[in-house]
Amino acid sequence: MSALASNRKTDIGPPHYEQFLPPIIKKNYGKWKYHENPRPGVLVHVAESGDKLYTVRAATPRLASTKTIRLFADLADEFCGGHLRYTSRNNVEFLLTDETKIDALIEKLAAAGYPVGGTGASITNIVHTQGWIHCHSAASDASGVVKAVMDELYPHFVNMDLPAKVRIAFACCLNMCGAVHCSDIAILAVHRRAPKIDHQAMARVCEIPTTVSSCPTGAIRPATVDGHQSVEVIEEQCMFCANCYTVCPAMTLNDAEYDGISIWVGGKVSQARSEPKFSKLAIPYIPNNPPRWPEVVEAIKNIVEVYAANARKYERMGEWIDRIGWPRFFEVADIEFTKYHIDDFTHAGETFRRSVHFPRIG
Amino acid sequence: MTTNKRETPLIDQLEKGPWPSFVKELKKSADNPMTNDLLGVLERSYNDRIGHWKHGGLVGVMGYGGGVIGRYCDLPEEFPNVAHFHTMRINHPAGWFYTSDVLRKICDIWEKHGSGITNMHGSTGDIIFLGCVTDELEPTFSDLTEAGFDLGGSGSDMRTPSCCCGMARCEWACYDTMGFTYDITQHWQDELHRPAFPYKYKFKASGCPNDCVASIARADMSIIGTWRDDIQQDDAAVAEYVTSGAVDIVEDVVGRCPTQCMSWDGEKLTINNRDCVRCMHCINVMPKALAPGKDRGATILLGAKAPIIGGALLSSVLIPFYEMEPPYEDLKELVEEIWDFWGEHGKNRERVGEFIQRIGLGNFLEQIGLEPTPEMVVHPRTNPYIFFELDEDEDEEEED
Amino acid sequence: MSDEDLINEVANAMYEMVKEYHGKKNFKAMDLTKAMKQKYGEDKVNKALCKKAIRQLIDSGRCTYSYVGGSYITLPAGS
Repeated sequence: MSALASNRKTDIGPPHYEQFLPPIIKKNYGKWKYHENPRPGVLVHVAESGDKLYTVRAATPRLASTKTIRLFADLADEFCGGHLRYTSRNNVEFLLTDETKIDALIEKLAAAGYPVGGTGASITNIVHTQGWIHCHSAASDASGVVKAVMDELYPHFVNMDLPAKVRIAFACCLNMCGAVHCSDIAILAVHRRAPKIDHQAMARVCEIPTTVSSCPTGAIRPATVDGHQSVEVIEEQCMFCANCYTVCPAMTLNDAEYDGISIWVGGKVSQARSEPKFSKLAIPYIPNNPPRWPEVVEAIKNIVEVYAANARKYERMGEWIDRIGWPRFFEVADIEFTKYHIDDFTHAGETFRRSVHFPRIG
Repeated sequence: MTTNKRETPLIDQLEKGPWPSFVKELKKSADNPMTNDLLGVLERSYNDRIGHWKHGGLVGVMGYGGGVIGRYCDLPEEFPNVAHFHTMRINHPAGWFYTSDVLRKICDIWEKHGSGITNMHGSTGDIIFLGCVTDELEPTFSDLTEAGFDLGGSGSDMRTPSCCCGMARCEWACYDTMGFTYDITQHWQDELHRPAFPYKYKFKASGCPNDCVASIARADMSIIGTWRDDIQQDDAAVAEYVTSGAVDIVEDVVGRCPTQCMSWDGEKLTINNRDCVRCMHCINVMPKALAPGKDRGATILLGAKAPIIGGALLSSVLIPFYEMEPPYEDLKELVEEIWDFWGEHGKNRERVGEFIQRIGLGNFLEQIGLEPTPEMVVHPRTNPYIFFELDEDEDEEEED
Repeated sequence: MSDEDLINEVANAMYEMVKEYHGKKNFKAMDLTKAMKQKYGEDKVNKALCKKAIRQLIDSGRCTYSYVGGSYITLPAGS
């Protein structure tokens, strides 16, 4: 009685990675000795055998036409036996064994609009979500903000001129696909108005008990509205997380006027020196201003430049701020501290200062 | 079907500037009617300052509950070619290595069936095909499996595991991240395609504590490479870093060690490995001179997640050191214990990290059959409200 | 009763449950499993068997997966 055709393939999983590895990697798998970063965007890995693998890293906009993928495939054929890889931050990496071909590859990539950089103490590609290109709950566009910000920060991608690496991430709502919450700078789009309820559709598209229980603050209760079985929201209790919208499409939080962008700083995932940290709130809200979000770009540029001018070598954004203290961060970055900066959710109490260890006043 | 080219004055402004432009990418594929309409919807959003997509629904390939994300435009009359615009997640090869041939094969499939727009890659690590109509899902899937690819995870299932490039191109890889990732992905195909959990469950495998795939922040189970012997040290190479002036060893290395476990006497670097917490800093600064030890494995951590619902969490230590030898039997058994217990008692949309917060790490360990160790906590409890178990004392008395 | 017959029977019982509550309550795989364990007793019907029954239910086209903030097992579109 199976409705599935018997020759239909399922559960084959991804192809085995080994078939895609270049010969030099197959030969030296697990036998690399050290690596160097001779210039921005170029790495050389040296194996115990003495073999050298050159990596050329170029930025891509994550959103890629198949025509661009074909272009990269052609370049890989021309320069490195058809072998390339992508990084966890949407860069493409060409894997060369012939050092003399590096300059020509970099030139061709630059001519096609894909700059080489993003290694060492630089700002590499921004990891980001879908935004208005594809997401139902986006409080801002993702690709557009990222493009505008990186146009401005571009010099820090092609140079290694910062105290340490700066990792920037963008999420278009609190769901944070890709978990941006441990980035040196996290750009997070936020809703600021309670859900608008489609009472007519509610009973048809949503399960009311599930919707009610989805609210982490208990702000949703069942209600009959104009004869429709529906819910109501206690607006003062709503913190705009949109968890209700995820389980119930009849409760959108998207709002053209009040959605916008918040900026968080000082997170990291690496264990180097200090433990991994969450990003903390720097700027609670900047209105959406497409197509180039100049206020967001300006705010991020300011934070990067203040960090670059004040941090010590190897100090990540969060390590620098921990050293100088948050009061001084707000002072040197010239950012206003407001009541929104003080946590009032699950782990709030842990963030109150319960000592007198803070920089002197004045 | 003939479609007029959409006018897009607002987003056209994002073609300018030195950074690669996603608008140019869209226009490269704008001969495809879907992508042409996508440009139109996006322009509309830039004008309206709001998104135009709806979610949910029953779309997927037959037999699977994951891998396809249903997406519909809320202006279908205006933009008919993107009325359905579903996402397909295609499980990427571990480490994101490709040959030009296989990339062209993927492009062929996507140009034939969909918009020609991809993400390389999505946040989950998958190859993303952006924009498939419902009727094309099954044919696309069929061509994909013919080419040796399968869908990734979505919804309440095991998500596509991902990893750093590990031993393929990194001297710091303390275990074979790609081998491990491929192994578990194949081992749990059913859990990946047929959602049976309270919520998502992500694995991310990083070869060393630099954690290039951010596993500690994003994975329900984070597997982070580490070692338990001494840092490998080449004194001649250390001296070279110092004499060449490349490194200020006192300031940049000794001075930045978080446990102050090293010293420099002007000639030799001495590391007290007993006090080292394997943070990687000194190794990162002097990769030619220092390397992780030889007795390598991984620390297994559990429970990271983004804020929804109860607040963001980083993973916490579950197994301080695991040898990471294939076929990883003990680890697989432990994972199944975790899935059983969380599956039985977890609430809908409750990630395993939140579940542990709710029931207590001590209770959780007891249920999955792990002994508590001091590595699991930053410090022991400070509050004296201890849930002493009544029968424990009685048992001990009987044994006496 | 052979294992296969039992799997079929459990799949049928799951299908009846999904049908009865259609439009009123969505079930996840675990909800169906718990209900079947209770109905038949844990010594007779365990998690592994329920997993096979769910696969049968989906592969036969009688039910399908849906996503509304979580993955549920429901009747196919248009039912």
